[in-house]
Amino acid sequence: MASSATVGDLVSQPYKYGFVTDIETEKIAKGLSEDVVRLISAKKNEPAFLLDFRLRSYRQWLQMEEPDWATLGHPPIDYQEIIYYAAPKQQEKKASLDEVDPKLLETFDKLGIPLSEQKRLSNVAVDAVFDSVSIATTYREKLAEHGVIFCSISEAVKDHADLIEKYLGTVVPGNDNYFAALNSAVFSDGSFVFIPKGVECPMELSTYFRINSGDTGQFERTLIVAEEGASVSYLEGCTAPMFDTNQLHAAVVELVALDDASIKYSTVQNWYAGDENGKGGIYNFVTKRGQCRGDRSHISWTQVETGSAITWKYPSCVLQGADSVGEFYSVALTNNRQQADTGTKMIHVGPRTRSTIVSKGISAGHSSNSYRGLVQLGPKAVGARNYSQCDSMLIGDQAAANTYPYIRSQQPEARIEHEASTCRISADQLFYLQSRGIAFEEAVSMMVSGFCRDVFNQLPMEFAAEADKLLALKLEGSVG
Amino acid sequence: MIRPDAPVLLEIRDLTARVEDQPILKGVSLTIRAGEIHAVMGRNGSGKSTLSKVLAGHPAYTVTGGTVLYKGEDLLSLEPELRARAGLFLGFQYPVEIPGVSNLEFLRVATNARRAGKGEEELDTFAFEDLVRERLQVVQMDPAFLERSVNEGFSGGEKKRNEILQMALLEPLVAVLDETDSGLDIDALRIVAGGVNHLAGPDNATLLITHYQRLLDVITPDYVHVMAAGRILRTGGKELALELEERGYDWVDAELVATERTPAEVG
Amino acid sequence: MVAASLSTPTAAAGAAPGGWIAALLANAGGVASAGADALAASRTRAAQALAQTPLPSRRAEAWRFTDLAPLTALSPTLLSPAPAAQPETAAGSLRLSLDGHSDPLAGISLPAGLEPISGDELNETLGQVLAATGSAELWPVLLNGATARHVLALRVRGPVATTLELVSDAGAGEGILPLRLLLVLEPDASIEILQVHRSGGANLTSVVLEARLGEGAELRHGLLASGADTSCLLATVAVEQATGSRFSGVSAHGGWALGRLEPRLVQRAGAAHSALKALQLADGRQISDTHSQMVFEGPDGRLVQLHKAVADGQGRSVFNGAVQVPRLAQRTDAAQLSRNLLLSDRARIDTKPELEIVADDVRCAHGATVSRLEQDELFYLQSRGIAADQAARLLLRGFCEEVLQELPEAARPWQPLASLLGEQGR
Repeated sequence: MASSATVGDLVSQPYKYGFVTDIETEKIAKGLSEDVVRLISAKKNEPAFLLDFRLRSYRQWLQMEEPDWATLGHPPIDYQEIIYYAAPKQQEKKASLDEVDPKLLETFDKLGIPLSEQKRLSNVAVDAVFDSVSIATTYREKLAEHGVIFCSISEAVKDHADLIEKYLGTVVPGNDNYFAALNSAVFSDGSFVFIPKGVECPMELSTYFRINSGDTGQFERTLIVAEEGASVSYLEGCTAPMFDTNQLHAAVVELVALDDASIKYSTVQNWYAGDENGKGGIYNFVTKRGQCRGDRSHISWTQVETGSAITWKYPSCVLQGADSVGEFYSVALTNNRQQADTGTKMIHVGPRTRSTIVSKGISAGHSSNSYRGLVQLGPKAVGARNYSQCDSMLIGDQAAANTYPYIRSQQPEARIEHEASTCRISADQLFYLQSRGIAFEEAVSMMVSGFCRDVFNQLPMEFAAEADKLLALKLEGSVG
Repeated sequence: MIRPDAPVLLEIRDLTARVEDQPILKGVSLTIRAGEIHAVMGRNGSGKSTLSKVLAGHPAYTVTGGTVLYKGEDLLSLEPELRARAGLFLGFQYPVEIPGVSNLEFLRVATNARRAGKGEEELDTFAFEDLVRERLQVVQMDPAFLERSVNEGFSGGEKKRNEILQMALLEPLVAVLDETDSGLDIDALRIVAGGVNHLAGPDNATLLITHYQRLLDVITPDYVHVMAAGRILRTGGKELALELEERGYDWVDAELVATERTPAEVG
Repeated sequence: MVAASLSTPTAAAGAAPGGWIAALLANAGGVASAGADALAASRTRAAQALAQTPLPSRRAEAWRFTDLAPLTALSPTLLSPAPAAQPETAAGSLRLSLDGHSDPLAGISLPAGLEPISGDELNETLGQVLAATGSAELWPVLLNGATARHVLALRVRGPVATTLELVSDAGAGEGILPLRLLLVLEPDASIEILQVHRSGGANLTSVVLEARLGEGAELRHGLLASGADTSCLLATVAVEQATGSRFSGVSAHGGWALGRLEPRLVQRAGAAHSALKALQLADGRQISDTHSQMVFEGPDGRLVQLHKAVADGQGRSVFNGAVQVPRLAQRTDAAQLSRNLLLSDRARIDTKPELEIVADDVRCAHGATVSRLEQDELFYLQSRGIAADQAARLLLRGFCEEVLQELPEAARPWQPLASLLGEQGR
């Protein structure tokens, strides 16, 4: 039979977000010092408590060492070669989108995130972050009618300083880990969400992160607080241009859920992954943690990780409140020379807390894909339950799939179950689908999304189809 | 239904093929016209299943010689999915399980691929649901099977019914059914055969590959071919199948020995 | 992040433990110089390496949950245990007593198919399986290498019907009892081995077994180790398998202040069968630990692993099960299951499968459960008139027996369950 496309060919689709926007950018000088931390804080006219937080974190960062326990390899990062603040030149954040530089609007249009009034996504409010700053947030007024605050964290520092002071750094402390400490010292922007007591957020909230500059690190910080009985669904997306150097992205996300509150946080991560030889790409070192402080609170992480040269992230839940629920649904796809070490931590503190982990890793090319997770049941977690499922799909015999599930229990009145399996796309399955008229590419994509279905089902409707397509694109050229 | 003037759908000439280094087909010729039902019988290892896989384009089989024309066009250069879209259907002896892929979704994508092949419009989700519910009746299948993953956890009989359901949806011109009767109890056999009979018409053709007569009791073939050692040894009407049933395959061996000797004697 | 807990520094190696090693080496070295035995050269090398290796701290992943404090509390001297009472030997088995210094083969006639390995051949062979399984630099192996004065080295040809029982009892004495074992199974050889290690006092039983299995060879290996509240066990079982060989390891350990078992298996060219079944118990303040590693260096290998653990009292159970499937190892079929019973709210279970796969056509599954006894099962028994505590004992017994029943027949006189649960009069 004629040689058909291999799944190997399938995985190497060109990265379509790799363009650079030509826009005048204000950057500070390379390198990191206490002065740089002060400068960033000054540029944002921050109150003293925030500068203190930054400086404390910076000093602690200096004492810390870059972690080396993950199954990742990269040349040492020179933290003095990075620019810690870059912003497109425009005056104060615009009251109306019509005043935003059309080049920026065009950029987000091209990324499929229209911001202008006519074209914006219905029922999704978007905060658009370009390099270090937020340039626009849609539907703010409509949200405000419900008492929902959705704005950039810089604005929140100005307009809602009390809330920032009360919650920032309470879930991920400034010295939590090396990259979180770095972020705490230099974070430039990000999103802030506050859902007041009893309010169900009337629309999906979304932040779209775009790295544009080649020598800039991106350090955004997101804080979401859901008060008693409040609920919100939030989605973040990310892309970056193709550079043959590596850019550092070290973000921190903190979620706080009070009694009966619910936060659903979804990520579709498609940072530039480098070329097929591993040149370029984003180093993605991210600390995400949610705290179920209240009884019956609920935090759910869903992530589709397809980009970045290196991914190091473990969205976690600290289940403090009685009967609180933590969930982690993840698809991590690596191809070419990508490396991912990702998973979650479910820390069961309170009684009858429940957690579910569903992780699907797909490794193709010469990539390395590790699941690393911790399920910990403390002495007070009476009646707690965890169920974890970690499946790996291998495509080709050059890719690595590693699984490191840590399970620790001190609570006899609790139950933990963990299952894991490994599979591949078999030639017989592909032939069966082809013999029904389904093209090779589509057959692969059907099987991959079948493998990931449990996770995609958790994504907001608008994005589930998107994720499906994204995986198919990423896999072009690798099965066979 | 034999009509000498009916158009030829499938024309196999001197087809040879191998798996890895093992020659399996050693010169198969067969002509199938619209409206005809052919049965290929033979022992295990005679090459009859290989013939079906080669026709469908399975990548493990390499064609080493001969031609196959489908509606006058070269079939062998086509990818498997293009053969399916053109109307060639293989009913698998062992349908694979594909966990995670919903049966309904799979049937819809396949049906629309075939419709595109016929130049028809795609069916939307609702139109397709109507169609699939109607066709389910052909094989008396429970709609609950639509909600499951493709063939996953299906019994042998359920898998075969799912195959005939696909045939009913794809409306092939040439259906090659590989040992569709194997592993079926008598009720399932009746339902599956009923489905095949229902779908057979003057414009399409069926090639049944089978080991036993019992399928041919319920689907009456126009031609019966006996295959052995990678070749069609004899061709006859439905009475040939009865003869096989009565005499077993031993006489085939004798005939095979005779034909094998012939070239040597000639040469 | 996982980072936070991984990098939590824990004081383990203070000044005193370093001194402990120095004192131990001084004592062991003194014995070495007394006579030139087969291990003298390798002991010197190991002693040098050990002196330069810091005591494993809980910063190292392999010792994260395992505190060496009970070990460094022991007297840093070598132990020469006195002969202890033993049960009758089971029919069809030959018992050899190991005391760390005398020749267990003295006065024994070995069954057909078994012969000692000695001289140059011993020197050449010793340590090879440790190297092949990546075990040579493990701290417990170095400790054994630096202190062991005697090695029991045997070659196996053809099928040997007799079960070989290798027995030690550290008794109530203080100090370290290092035991070194080497088995070479020629192609198609087969044998059953049972190791029994007991202790009743403040001492360490240090065991290193190297076993090399030729093509088509079969080793059925059992290990039953029961200790006391002050005693420690560090046991390494290193196995190198040629194609077509079968290794079946069944182990049970419990009752030790610190009991750690490290099965390290490698299938050198794949296409072999490995089975590991283990039970470990931790009660009181005991630490019961298994770190297993399985490496497939060729295609078509198979592993079936079941690890069961029970933690009661303030006991701590640790399991780390590494399985490595490199690219060469296509069509590997590996299954690992870790089942844990947590019976007290002051006990702890840490379990971590560790799968590293670089081959696409493989089947690797693993699972883990942690729970208490099944309430439904307890209730069922109670509803038949069985008292709650008795019902719990019955269920616990059932949980353990699944592994214990797989021990060689020769283990029966040692009353495995009773000895592990400390229900047996010593």
